[in-house]
Amino acid sequence: MISNFITMNGYGLYIWLSFSVVFISCAVVYFKTKKTLKKYEQEFLSELQALTLEEKNKALENSKVAQQILATSSKAN
Amino acid sequence: MVKFFSSSNIYPLIQKLIKFINSIFFLILAIGLTFALVLSPPDYLQGDVVRIMYVHVPSAWLGLACFSLITLLSVLNFVFKIKNFYFINKSIAPIGLLFTCLAIITGSLWGQPTWGTWWAWDARLTSMVVLMFFYIFYILTFKLLKKEELIIKVSSIIAVIGSVNLPIIKYSVEWWATLHQPASIKITGSSSIHSAMIVPLMVMLLVFLLYAALIFLMKYKTEIIRIKKKNIKRNLFK
Repeated sequence: MISNFITMNGYGLYIWLSFSVVFISCAVVYFKTKKTLKKYEQEFLSELQALTLEEKNKALENSKVAQQILATSSKAN
Repeated sequence: MVKFFSSSNIYPLIQKLIKFINSIFFLILAIGLTFALVLSPPDYLQGDVVRIMYVHVPSAWLGLACFSLITLLSVLNFVFKIKNFYFINKSIAPIGLLFTCLAIITGSLWGQPTWGTWWAWDARLTSMVVLMFFYIFYILTFKLLKKEELIIKVSSIIAVIGSVNLPIIKYSVEWWATLHQPASIKITGSSSIHSAMIVPLMVMLLVFLLYAALIFLMKYKTEIIRIKKKNIKRNLFK
């Protein structure tokens, strides 16, 4: 039964190759996208930290996005 | 309406959606793969090789759907000047390219055992390759051009010209004699596919949709951060 599942009645090569190509490509795109997102989050946080306290407070007051990124990074740490 | 699309309103929603998709994705993927590789029956003519359909068809559908959406949003952006549509399109295009390429590759892998050839320059296959090139040109406008206004103009023109190819892809199997089979699933009229195969196909479509949504949200989130980062010193997010 397991052998049948692997060989897929002689079509195993085509079926497993198709599924592998799809899942490997999707995984590569996922990890690449995630890496880029993390990179931008880190850069954003670094620039936020570089601001003076007054500027930082103003930025946080004006931007929900900045608040969210800061909150997410605090949770992660 | 326009205010709703502001990044400040959308960003918290994106975070929640990413979490939600992450929490259900692997469960639905496991169900989809069980259906596609184990529970669904082999085709009476093609045998087990029909299982390639469960990755090929959703890929092709999403490749087409992404370009349709890009065209629609490009036109809306051109008319109503909603800048977020530009960022949405920028985030969707690589996903559409990925799925179009996957549809072509898996189609080729399906073609060899069923048609006896990896590739044929017939109408359906060729029009899919044309779609892939439109995606590449579209993405290149974001990479090569610098001025945002010019990017919007050029990318919108590419999207509108490329959209002519969409009905050609859809009806190519009816207009010309091709190796590719006609559509088995129809929105109007009865489908010629058994329910034992439709269910796995729909579950796999859901898996692909969730994946596409996840990548889109991550890319869109990156775009928002990129813009905010650019503005950080300039005006402190005003």
